[in-house]
Parts: sequence; C-alpha cells; structure tokens
Amino acid sequence: MFYEAFLETIYLTIVPLVFACVFGFIIGTLIFIGTSGILERKSGLMTFISKVCDSLVNILRSIPYLILIVWMLPITAFLTGSVIGTKAAIPALVVSATPFFARMVTIAFSEVDHGVIEASRAMGAGTFDIIIKVLIPESLPALVSSITVTAINLVSYSAMAGAIGAGGLGFEAYQYGLARRNEELMFIATILIVIIVFAIQIIGDRLVRKFDKRGG
Amino acid sequence: MQVVLRGGFYLFMGVDMIEIWHVSKSYGNIKAVDDVSLTIRDAEIFGIVGYSGAGKSTLLRTINQLEKVDEGEICIDGVDVTKLSYDELRTKRRKIGMIFQHFDLLWSKTVLDNIAFPLELIKMNKKERREKAKEAAIKVGLEDKLAVYPNALSGGQKQRVAIARALVFDPDILLSDEATSALDPKTTDDILELLMKINKEYKITIVLITHQMEVVQKICHRLAVMAKGKVIEEGSVYDIFKDPQKDLTKKLIQTVDTGLDVEKMAGELKIRYPEGHLLRLTFDSKSSGEPILYEVGNKLHIPFNIVSANIKNTQVGPLGVMYIHIEKRHDIGRIVEELLKDDVKVEVI
Repeated sequence: MFYEAFLETIYLTIVPLVFACVFGFIIGTLIFIGTSGILERKSGLMTFISKVCDSLVNILRSIPYLILIVWMLPITAFLTGSVIGTKAAIPALVVSATPFFARMVTIAFSEVDHGVIEASRAMGAGTFDIIIKVLIPESLPALVSSITVTAINLVSYSAMAGAIGAGGLGFEAYQYGLARRNEELMFIATILIVIIVFAIQIIGDRLVRKFDKRGG
Repeated sequence: MQVVLRGGFYLFMGVDMIEIWHVSKSYGNIKAVDDVSLTIRDAEIFGIVGYSGAGKSTLLRTINQLEKVDEGEICIDGVDVTKLSYDELRTKRRKIGMIFQHFDLLWSKTVLDNIAFPLELIKMNKKERREKAKEAAIKVGLEDKLAVYPNALSGGQKQRVAIARALVFDPDILLSDEATSALDPKTTDDILELLMKINKEYKITIVLITHQMEVVQKICHRLAVMAKGKVIEEGSVYDIFKDPQKDLTKKLIQTVDTGLDVEKMAGELKIRYPEGHLLRLTFDSKSSGEPILYEVGNKLHIPFNIVSANIKNTQVGPLGVMYIHIEKRHDIGRIVEELLKDDVKVEVI
C-alpha cells in the first residue's frame, strides 16, 4: 500500500515538474526579455507579450489550489479523458507549478550580471545567443535551486490532489491516517514524504555546488 | 581627413579610423552626449577623459552602437555604423573589441572558453576556436591559466582574459571602458603596458575612457576632454599637458603633476614660503633633457630652491613640472625672460 502511494507521489511530482519546467521556462524567459531591457531593438509586441505573461502568472499564483482543480475540471477532462484519478491531477499541478517556476526563472535571469550581457552584445551576440549561451549557464545554480523548490512544492500539492482521487502518500496520510484515526499509518506516510523532500533537496544542493564555479 | 559626402560616398584622404560626426544622445531631458565630433586615427591610442557623468561612457558605446545615437553619424573605416541593419551591426562588432571596468567574464566558463566565447557565437567548431583562443591567450601572457575558472584569478589576470577575448577576432579597434579603474597601481601599469604592446604590434586603434589622467599621460597619443556631454578640449597629449586651455583640463592635469590640484598646491606652498617668489615651470621634451634651470640660475647668480618637481613620460617624450622658490630680494623678471627663451613655460604664483 505504501509502495503504491510512494510511486504515485513520485509520479505526481516528476511528471508535472517536467511540464512546469518547460512551460515555466518559456514564460519566465518571455517576461524577462520584455522587462529587462536586454532587447536591442525595442519591440512593442514583446513588451505586450511580456506584460500578458506577467499578469497571467500573478493571476494563476493567487488562485487557491483546490479551487484551481475545480475550475480546471473541463480542461482536465479534455486533456486526460477523465476528471478523477492520478492522471487527472496532473493538469492542475502543472498549472499551479508553472507560474511559480516562471517567476523563479525571471528572478534567476535578472540576477545575471548586466555587464556580462552587455559584453556579449559587444561581441556580436543576438538575443537568442544571450538566452542560451549567457543567461542559462550564468544562472544555472539559481535555476537548479528553483527546480528543487518547485519539486518540493509539487510533493506537497500532490497531497491535496488526493481530493480528486489522485492517490499518493499525502492522500494516504489524510484519508487512512487522519480520517480513520490510524496514527501509525499517518506517521509512516508523513515520514516517507519527509524522506522524499530531503532527497530532492540533497540532490538539488549537490547539483548547485557542482555547477557553481563562482567559488573559484 | 575623410570627407563625407551626402548620399553615401566616402572619399579617403588619410588614415582616419573612426569619425564621430555631430553625435547627440539624450536620456529624457538629460543630454548625455551633446553634438560631439571627433576624429580618431588609425592605430592611435585615443583617450577620452572627464569626471563621471560627463558622457564619455555613452560616447564610447555609440562607437559599437551599444548606445544608439539620436543624431549624427559614426563612420568606422568609411562605414556609417548608425545606419547598419541589426545583422550587419552584429558582424561589424566582431571587428570592435571591448573591455570593461569589471572585466565582465562568464564565471561559468574556463579562461579558455571565455576567450573562445566570441568564436562560439559564430558557431566555429570547438577545435578551431580553442586553437584561436590559445593564440590570443599567449598574446596576453595567460597560456598557463587556460583551464582555470575566472574567479580563481586576480583582477589583473581577469582583465587579461577580457583583453584576449576582445582580441580573438583580430579586431581593428579596441574600446576600453575604465579598464584599469578597478585595479591597483602596479597592475594598472602592467595592463597599460599590454595595451601599448597590442597597439604597436597589431596596429589596433584603441579608444579608452578614463577618469585617471595618468593613464592618458602614459599611453595615449591624443585625447579629448569631456564635460556635460561636450568635448571641451581636444589635441595631442603632449600639447594638452604642456598647455591646457580649459580650467577643467588644467585641474585634471594637476592630479598627475603632483597628486594635488594647482590651487591646493599653490596654497600649501604659499603657507610654507610666505615671502619671496614662487614659480611654476613646465618643461617639454626639448627642454627637460637639458640643465636649463641650473644654467639660468648660474648666469644670473640667482639661487633657487626646488620645492616640488615631477617629470612624467608620455608617448612622445618626457613632460615636466617644477615649482621653484626664489628669495624676495631677487628680481624674477630676468629669470622668467631667460627661461621663456629656453621654451620653458613659467607661471608666477
């Protein structure tokens, strides 16, 4: 029983994480490009797209997660063919984690030394070069930290996805532990969640140290 | 001189590298650069000096179009860069290297990959670009640090990496934005020497901005002084140091002469020597090689006391400034006359 719930939690963390990283990266980059002044040719369209993304992120981040699940039911049904179960929890998890990660990407990029971007411009770099060859490598430790935090957020959100029958350790702890007063079960499920969170954090920190060459 | 004819024709009559023509740039109501025209010759080291906020940084960035101009033209090798398309401009920038006060290296790349970075941008293959980067590293004396990350380097070494990176495309022009301002005096001298070597050996035109007058005095051939967005004085380093016209220029030069400005120096000496005459003598390359002062003093039987002296080397020869004190009972009219005959500039304080 724990084994299955454990796997469900891992699934509910990793799959939404991958989607959230891809979408969040794109949205975060769009926000950064439009607001940071790194564009050499001013583009009204880019500024508009950036502002739309920025507002979208703010709106999505303020909707309580459980309400988001309910509001998203039609979209979930369309995407996964079902409104209950583990798979059905994924769209809402993606939608809740994406704006969070997008914000972290914007912050990570804005901490890259502006002088380095200017120097790259002086070497003939275009905007795409700057994103791929300067912003990403120079903010890699911050990006990895952001992925770590987002993953941990997803672990805790996946527990709430139990409301639509997603399963997972959090749901286990609540449904069988708290509601049915099986304290032992609740305790073990919680410990397992703690272990997952620790594991994510340790892996994340290791990677950050590996990528960070600022210490010399 | 390069004559620019409207309609895009250029007539070459000399060796001008950069021609800045009535360039203006504003930020809101502030005119950062106000109708500046300058000509920078091929293979010279040109200094732009001024206090911070004078507009020199903006002016420098208009040369590679990191700052767009509101008005005016900038011709590099006969091409008006203000009219280039975005892609043409990016190609042109490869021939204009740039170095910065804070070096602006990528911490995530090794020294070798930092130097090779401009080549990576044009998608040169790894082997070839590493070879080119090694060549550039040798030019700046960093061939033993290739595998190191920038944060393990000293400030001077970081600036050498930045210089190598700027040289990797064999540029015609090197722009230097306060490149020695974050370095200690000894390292500053090393970097300046390297810049001089680059200028001589590879015939690269260097345009540098600085607020350190000694940088200009040591390595520049010509300079322009900027204040409030305008060029207020322009000419050879030799002429300007010998005979500055504007008060601001005089003030800037004083910082090199004595480390103090002229009023302060004069004030201090007046307190120490309340009686008698104080003279400020400016020597040039012709006069400073000879014992003029000794000869004049001997001839007129006037004893003098050297209270402060400073002789500096420039690209065209030594320049010197000396303060002498002569006792009240002597007539200074004759000594001034004799010194002027020998091409020494004399000011009575």
